[in-house]
Amino acid sequence: MAVITIDGKKVEVEEGKNVLECALDAGIYIPHLCHHKDLHPLGSCRMCIVQQEGKDEVEPSCMLKAKDGMVIHTQTEEIKRLRMLALELLLAGHPEDCSTCPKYGNCELQILIQYIGPKTGRMKMRSKGFAVNDKNPLLLHDMNRCILCGRCVRACDDLRGVNVLHYQKREDLEVYTGTLKDRLLKDANCRFCQACAEVCPTGTIRDILATTEKKKEDYVVPCRAGCPAHADIPTYLRYTKQGKFDEATAVIRERLSMPKTLGYICNHACELECKRTQVNEPMSIRNLKRYAVEHDSGKYWRGKGKQLSDTGRKVCVVGAGPAGLTAAYYLRKQGHDVTVKEALPEAGGMLSYGIPSYRLPREIVQEEIKVFTDQGVKIETGVRVDKPADLLKEYDAVLMAIGGHNGVRLPMKGNDLPGVLVNIEFLRQASMGEETGLGKKVIVLGGGNVAFDCARTAKRLGAEEIHVACLEARDKMTSDDEEIEQAQEEGIFVHPAQTFEAITGDDHVTGVDFMNVESFTFDENRRAIIKKEAGSEHHIDADTVIFATGQRPDITEASGLTLGRGNSITVADITRDKKTSLEGIFAAGDCIYGTKSVVMAVESGREAASQIDLYLGGDGDISEVFAPEQFKDPYIGEIDDFAKLKRRMPKVDPAEMRQDNFRLFDHGLCDEDACAEAGRCLQCDLRLQISTPKTWADFSKEAE
Amino acid sequence: MNALKCAKELGRDAIFEKIKAAGLKMSGLRMGDLAEQLKACSVGAAVDAGLDNADTDGALLALLRENPERVLEGIKIAALALNTGEANLYLPEKESELAAALQPVAEKYDIKICSGIVDVRKTEGDFYLHLASAADLADLFTDSYEDGVYVAVNGQPLKKVARDTKLGQLTSLDGAKAIWTGYHYYTPAEAEELTVEAASNALVRVLTDKECLVEETKKQLTEYRRVSCGKCVFCREGLIQLEHEQREITLARGKMDFLDLTKEIGEAMRFSNLCSVGQRAAYAPLNAVEKFPEEYESHIKKNQCPAGVCGAFVHIYIDPKLCTGCGECLDVCPEDCIEGKPKYIHMIDEFDCTKCGKCIEVCEDEAIIQTAGKLPKLPNRLTKVGKFRKH
Repeated sequence: MAVITIDGKKVEVEEGKNVLECALDAGIYIPHLCHHKDLHPLGSCRMCIVQQEGKDEVEPSCMLKAKDGMVIHTQTEEIKRLRMLALELLLAGHPEDCSTCPKYGNCELQILIQYIGPKTGRMKMRSKGFAVNDKNPLLLHDMNRCILCGRCVRACDDLRGVNVLHYQKREDLEVYTGTLKDRLLKDANCRFCQACAEVCPTGTIRDILATTEKKKEDYVVPCRAGCPAHADIPTYLRYTKQGKFDEATAVIRERLSMPKTLGYICNHACELECKRTQVNEPMSIRNLKRYAVEHDSGKYWRGKGKQLSDTGRKVCVVGAGPAGLTAAYYLRKQGHDVTVKEALPEAGGMLSYGIPSYRLPREIVQEEIKVFTDQGVKIETGVRVDKPADLLKEYDAVLMAIGGHNGVRLPMKGNDLPGVLVNIEFLRQASMGEETGLGKKVIVLGGGNVAFDCARTAKRLGAEEIHVACLEARDKMTSDDEEIEQAQEEGIFVHPAQTFEAITGDDHVTGVDFMNVESFTFDENRRAIIKKEAGSEHHIDADTVIFATGQRPDITEASGLTLGRGNSITVADITRDKKTSLEGIFAAGDCIYGTKSVVMAVESGREAASQIDLYLGGDGDISEVFAPEQFKDPYIGEIDDFAKLKRRMPKVDPAEMRQDNFRLFDHGLCDEDACAEAGRCLQCDLRLQISTPKTWADFSKEAE
Repeated sequence: MNALKCAKELGRDAIFEKIKAAGLKMSGLRMGDLAEQLKACSVGAAVDAGLDNADTDGALLALLRENPERVLEGIKIAALALNTGEANLYLPEKESELAAALQPVAEKYDIKICSGIVDVRKTEGDFYLHLASAADLADLFTDSYEDGVYVAVNGQPLKKVARDTKLGQLTSLDGAKAIWTGYHYYTPAEAEELTVEAASNALVRVLTDKECLVEETKKQLTEYRRVSCGKCVFCREGLIQLEHEQREITLARGKMDFLDLTKEIGEAMRFSNLCSVGQRAAYAPLNAVEKFPEEYESHIKKNQCPAGVCGAFVHIYIDPKLCTGCGECLDVCPEDCIEGKPKYIHMIDEFDCTKCGKCIEVCEDEAIIQTAGKLPKLPNRLTKVGKFRKH
């Protein structure tokens, strides 16, 4: 340790630590610009100059190492004059107007100008005349705003080991930073970690996705923000890359109660947000999750999670789907006595009766449910609850998680003819091995994933000709592209942009009349406006029509609960407050917000568990930490052609092998591909480790 | 060459002793006792050999051109003394041909050739060895070392002279306006008394009435900008401002305010940059402004370039009394800025004139005149030969 004196204040510091950091840590502000806590000092901007007693000249404090007995002055007249001169020089090559800069109000240079208040009009001002480079994904370069602090170069080189950015000189001797030969970032082996944008003090290198409308960690790591359950995706991908599947699964299980199921069928909102999409193709997050979970030994979570002692409170969960089971699981962990009542013969809800087994094998669902029952959740099947209020005689709280098990028949001519089936009923019967009434020529009406589940199930049950028709244009269809493509491979015809005019037939379905949609938009009241193409009437013959146009909760007002749009159970606030109209009764999952996804149901179940726990006198904290703390190595190094690495695809059986049976056909990533795929991650979360520089504003706030 | 061989046979301690005993001095800006500088570095420190970063002229590269082995062996002897394998030879970026020519022999000595200036941020703790000192080291171990300073006077070949030689003894300073050496300008009176040790880059240039100091300073500043890495604010931006001011002055757009700013920026530059480029670059404009104020005053106040170099102050006009209206000049003017027709006095439009002087060469009547002074009264419209009157 060393004792140094800064502006008369004695400070005990680590010997050899740079004097600038010593001062900042001691609450003494020294202006600085090129210095960044996480980067090697450069000593170039001359803002942090100080006078050491016994020395002739001022020197930059970022390069000055603390030595016992040092006496430092930070604010002499000479220092102030030289700082101002340095800033005047810097600003000579910087645009004068701050108000048009996207970094306005958030720019370290701007704050420095306010602090120092430089003279104006003495220097020859110049515009550097660089074209704004918007040809790269994720990052935008406006070198006109660059003040050559070199933080980007050091971040890229010293901090990340990627070494893409360099100081360069234009023919007219104007200095700038960029890739060698001004190559595109993807051609210069950039890893798109965005550390350069993070450390840039001005509006020079900018994160294109940065927005004031979201929290920083949400736009910086959009996959995590995009996951309804906010699973820590970059962390588990990193573990997966390292072959640490136990750790990866532990991270996943901290947020997702049914990780295997989700590894198979999650609609992966995360992948839609993945920033790698802008570079070439999104990360295969779902498949990596599946891979990690399938290679997990349970070391970090099995029998290790939270289990609070019994509270003596009893909760009944109605519906054993993903929302209900998840809520039950976490409520049990909070110490409550939880019973799940399920109307159908098996638990699992849509996982057991909606999603076909060729996508999600039933034993996977049973394996996941076993985790819940092992935890002490009791499940009663074949028990239908019509009057939830009655349960309150026996239970302290009730959660309605009944999903949407009533298929919707559109109000149109012929909708009740024999041969007309409804999505969820059809899938349930198929799943249970019951007679479905399916013919040979089938038309499925609807364009979501359920429509394709119906069509592909029909194919596997032996239908000969199958059509899927929907109102939306191909690019607006809500089903995954993968589903549509695989269905087409299996010989299913897809007809986007169709209106359903009528189901034809007198005593049995003979087909459907369609017209082509010319345009399909919504007005300001979210009402559909459909324009049909004149003279486009056409007919497709069929003996079976399946409505796959939505599902609704199987409940009536007779239950005593207030119902809302689409027969959903009304709750106070869909995420924050899941209380229904009846005291003590809560609701979660599809039955409150309509048909969404399994991962949404899981998150909704977690939220409900937390809220019910609070209601029952608990602290509502259902969080768990399974995974060891991860060392996130900021030094990611160079990888040739990193930006061009292709998304690794899972092994999928060809159509002729899969289309006539209900066996699982997607076998996930192979060992080699899993590691390679995980290595494609941009590791956006590393950026959040970078320190935020302290500015004068921080110190003046502290002073107040 | 067998300097390296001799050194190897001696071993590290004896190398030190020999350097110390000979009192070898480090050449260039890091002047001082070479043995002590070696000692100050830790064992295993890399050797970075080259010119001083600020040396834009490179007169001392002649040592490398004449006898590369000598310099390279000297570098290796230093490496031997430090017990290091890492030895780098820095060559100016513009010397790519020299670098290519030296590559095979450098490889033989396991010396890495680097282009550009030494990055002082990344080489902290390294041993900096001046090229001239590398040559001295080699001489020392072949017992051919003689104390002295290398100089190249007015573009003549490099030679070694005794340290106490005065600049005035090297060359005649008669008719000199200024002497440019060791990154400084000196007045002839100063130079008379100055020893060659001031010539840290070996270059001695005597500037006469034919050279404009503002123009020379501007060119020098451009050279510094060319080698500057651009990291230090005062070097990068300071040079831009200083160069801009000199250019404006040579273009007849100078203001006396510039001189104060030149001094302010220049003074700060001396200690506000990490390497010698930015530190030394300040002296050309500082010396010029302080020691030769009349050069600036005549440019700025009297609208004259005393040397007649700055084109903006030079006028070319056609003497209306001598012009015969032959049209020869009109035909050669590349800018088409001469107006005239047969038997009429021709006129030069000064706005477009680049002062190339082609018209002067072709005029058989010697009617086209170049002057650094004021223009006489000239016709303002086409006038018949012989009809022009002064009033």
